[in-house]
Amino acid sequence: MKALAIRHLSYRYPDGTAALDDVSLSVEENECIGLIGPNGSGKSTLLLHVNGILPERTQGESGVSVFGMAVCPETLPAIRRTVGLLFQDPDDQLFCPTVYEDVAFGPQQFGESGDAVRSAVMEALERTGLKGFGARSPHHLSGGEKQRVCLAGILACRPRMLVLDEPTSDLDPRGKRELAALLQRLTATKIIATHDLELVVKLCSRAVVMDGGRIVADGPTVELLSNEELMVKHGLEKPHILQHSHPHTNYPLSPDHG
Amino acid sequence: MRHDFLDRYSRLSSPIHRLPAGVKLGTALGLVLTIVMIPPGALWVFSLPAVVLLATAAISRIPLAFLVRRILFFEPLVLGIAALNLLRPGGGRIFLAVLIKSTLSLFTMILLANTTPFHALLRVFRSAGVPPLFITVLALMYRYLFVLVDEAERMTRARSSRTFDRNGARLWRSTASVIVQLFLRSSERAERIFAAMTARGWK
Amino acid sequence: MFRPGNTRNPPATLAVIPFFLYDESRLNSSFPVPVHIPDGFLDTKTVVATGILSAVALSGALRQAQRSFPAKKVPLMGLTAAFVFAAQMFNFPVLAGTSGHLMGAVLAAVLLGPAGGVLVMTSVLVVQALLFADGGLLALGANILNMAVAGPLGGYAIFAAVRRLFPGQRGTVIAVAFAAWCSTVLASVLCAGELAWSGTVPWSAAFPAMANVHMLIGLGEGVITAMVVAGLARVRPEFLGNGQPDPGRWTHVLYALTLILAFGVFVSPFASPWPDGLERVASTLGFDQRALVSSAPLADYQVPGVGSAAAATAIAAALGGIIVFLLSFLLARLLVPGPSRRS
Repeated sequence: MKALAIRHLSYRYPDGTAALDDVSLSVEENECIGLIGPNGSGKSTLLLHVNGILPERTQGESGVSVFGMAVCPETLPAIRRTVGLLFQDPDDQLFCPTVYEDVAFGPQQFGESGDAVRSAVMEALERTGLKGFGARSPHHLSGGEKQRVCLAGILACRPRMLVLDEPTSDLDPRGKRELAALLQRLTATKIIATHDLELVVKLCSRAVVMDGGRIVADGPTVELLSNEELMVKHGLEKPHILQHSHPHTNYPLSPDHG
Repeated sequence: MRHDFLDRYSRLSSPIHRLPAGVKLGTALGLVLTIVMIPPGALWVFSLPAVVLLATAAISRIPLAFLVRRILFFEPLVLGIAALNLLRPGGGRIFLAVLIKSTLSLFTMILLANTTPFHALLRVFRSAGVPPLFITVLALMYRYLFVLVDEAERMTRARSSRTFDRNGARLWRSTASVIVQLFLRSSERAERIFAAMTARGWK
Repeated sequence: MFRPGNTRNPPATLAVIPFFLYDESRLNSSFPVPVHIPDGFLDTKTVVATGILSAVALSGALRQAQRSFPAKKVPLMGLTAAFVFAAQMFNFPVLAGTSGHLMGAVLAAVLLGPAGGVLVMTSVLVVQALLFADGGLLALGANILNMAVAGPLGGYAIFAAVRRLFPGQRGTVIAVAFAAWCSTVLASVLCAGELAWSGTVPWSAAFPAMANVHMLIGLGEGVITAMVVAGLARVRPEFLGNGQPDPGRWTHVLYALTLILAFGVFVSPFASPWPDGLERVASTLGFDQRALVSSAPLADYQVPGVGSAAAATAIAAALGGIIVFLLSFLLARLLVPGPSRRS
C-alpha cells in the first residue's frame, strides 16, 4: 500500500487560473521526497490536496489517496490524523495563547482524553527540544522556536506522514541546521516542498520537480539536482553542495533515509 | 517589538501573581464596585481601597513608576470629562469624587492586567460558562493583535521613510492606505489560519 | 458578565483641557488613545441598565452566531477584532489638536453580519478593558451598548436600508460610508445620555460636546470604512458577501427592541421638547437651568435664533447627516471606478 497515491489531479482556483495540470505522484511509506520548483509552480497547492483542504468543495473523490484511504468528506478526520501538514508561516498555525495549548490542540480535536493529551504534548515537546516551553506565549518566541512548536503540534497527533511547506524559509542558518537534524530523526513518510536545495540533498532520497502545475521530473535527488540544465530550465539552480564532488571522500554525502 | 505593551509584567513572580486568576478577577470586580458605590460626600472613605491597592502593588513587585505612568496616561481623559462639572455650581465635589473614583478604578484594572496573563483569564471565562465561540474569538484576537500591530508598525515606518511631508492630507491618506493594507493582509491570514485549524481536526 | 464598557469621550475634553495635552505626537503613537468611559463616571442604576441591555443583545448575537455562523469565518472574526484593536491605535487629525480614531463597528458588521459585528466589537472592548484598563470594568456594559450594540446594529440597519436604495458597488460604498458616520454619532449620543443619566455630566454639556466632535470623527470613520470596503471589493470580493441565512424575525425584533430601549431610556428624556426636557433634568439634578445653557462648551455651534446648545446640536446633526449622505456619493465616485471602466 502506498503512503500517497495521486492520480491525474487537476485543479483550478476559484478565479479560473489553472494551478495543477494532470499531476500523478506516488510515495512509498517512510520515503522522504523533496518537492522543488519555482514560485507559482503549484507545490503548495498540491500539498493542500494531500489532507483535503483543497478542493474547497469535495464532491466524491479527488484522485488522492493516503495509506489506501481515498480523500473524501467522510475520511477527512481520519486522514487529518494521519497526515501532519506544516504550513509556511508559523504565525498562521500557532493560534493558541500558549505553547502547551497549541500543541494540545490537535489531540484535543481528535477527542483524546485529558491524560492522553498531556502525555502526547509532553512527548512532542521533548522530541522537538522544547521541554519547559509549555507556558510561553507564541509571540515571544524566535522564528526557529515557533517552527519547532508547530512541528510539535503536529507530532502530538502521531502522524504517519509529514508534509512540510517551506519549513526553512524563515529560519536563520542555525535554525535550518536544527530543523534538518530534527527531521532526520523522525520516522515517517516525509514530503518537503522547499526552495532550500541543500536541505533536499541532505534529507531526501528522491526529488520531484514541478513547474507550471505539472511534474516535470521525478528521480533520485543527486542525479536530478546535479543536472544543471534541468535545474536552470525550471527556475532552480544546482545546489552548492553538489557543485564539487571529490572521488576520495564521501562528498556529497549520500542522503539518509529517516 | 513592544509586543508586551499590554501586559508587560503579567509574567513576573510574586505572591499576587501566583493567586488564581479567578480570585484576582473577582477581587478586582469587588473593589471597583465598592469604589464606585462610595457616595461623593465621604471622601475619606476612599482611602481604604487606596491602601489595599497600594499594598497589592507593593507585593506584586511591579515597578511603581510603570504603574504611575499608566495611570497618568488616562488622566487627561478623566480630568476632561470630570472637569465639565466645574462649570456648574457645587460641581467641585462631584469633580473630586469622580476623579478619585476613576483613578482608583484605573489602578485596580492596571494591577489586574499586569498580574494575570490573558490566557488565565480566558480559562476563567471558559469555566464560568462563556460560550466557546466567544472564547475562540477572544483567544484569536489576543494572539494576533501583536502580529497586526507589528505589521502596522512596519508599514507605517516604510511609508514614513518615503514621505517627507508633514502635510495633513498626505498623512491622512498614507495612514488610510496602511489601514486598508493591514486589513487585506489580516483577512488573508485568517484564511490560512482556518486551513491550519482544519488541518489539525477543527470543525 | 459585562462590566461597564467605555464610551468614547475624546475631544469633549478639549473644551476644558489645554491643547498641549493632545499634541501631534499622539498621532500614530504606539499606545491607543483612551476613549472609553472609565469607571467612576456612571452611577449604579446606569451600570445596571446598560449591563442588562448589553447582555440581552449579546446573548441574542451569540445565539445567532452559534447557530448559523460558518466555521470558515471564525478566524476572520478573531482577526477582524485584532484589526479593529490595532486600527484604533491610528489617530487622524480632526481639528487642530484633536484627533479621532476608527471605531470599526460598521466595518465589522458589514464583513461578518450584525451578529458577528456585535461579537467582534465586544471582544475588542473586553480586551481593552481587561488588558489595557481602557474602559472600566463596571462601565463595560455601557461601552458595549454604545460601541458593540448600537454601533454595529444601528449602523448595519442604516447600511442595509441605504444599500437597498442604491444597489451595486457604488451603492455599497455610499451605504457603508454613511452608516459608519451614523454609527459614530449614535454611539456618542448614547454615551452622552448615559453620562447625563448618571448625573456625572449634564446633558446640555455632554450632548453638544460629544455629538459635535463625533460628527467630525465620524467623517474619518466613514472614509476609512469606505476605503477598506472598496479595497476589499476590488481585491477579495468574496469577503463582502457574508452569506449568512437571515437570522429570523425574532432576532431582528430583539435587536430593534434593545436599540429602542437604549435610546428611549438614555436619550429621549433629554431630547423631548427642548425647554421642558432641560427643565426636568435641571430640577432632578438640582441646579440652575440657565447655568447649564450658558456654560455649554462649543457655543459657537449655536444656530442664531435657537436657544440651547443642545437644540442647536440636534439641528446640526440633522444637517450634518444630510451633508454626509451627499458626501458619500462623492466618496463612492472616487473609490469605485465608473461602469465603463469596470472589466
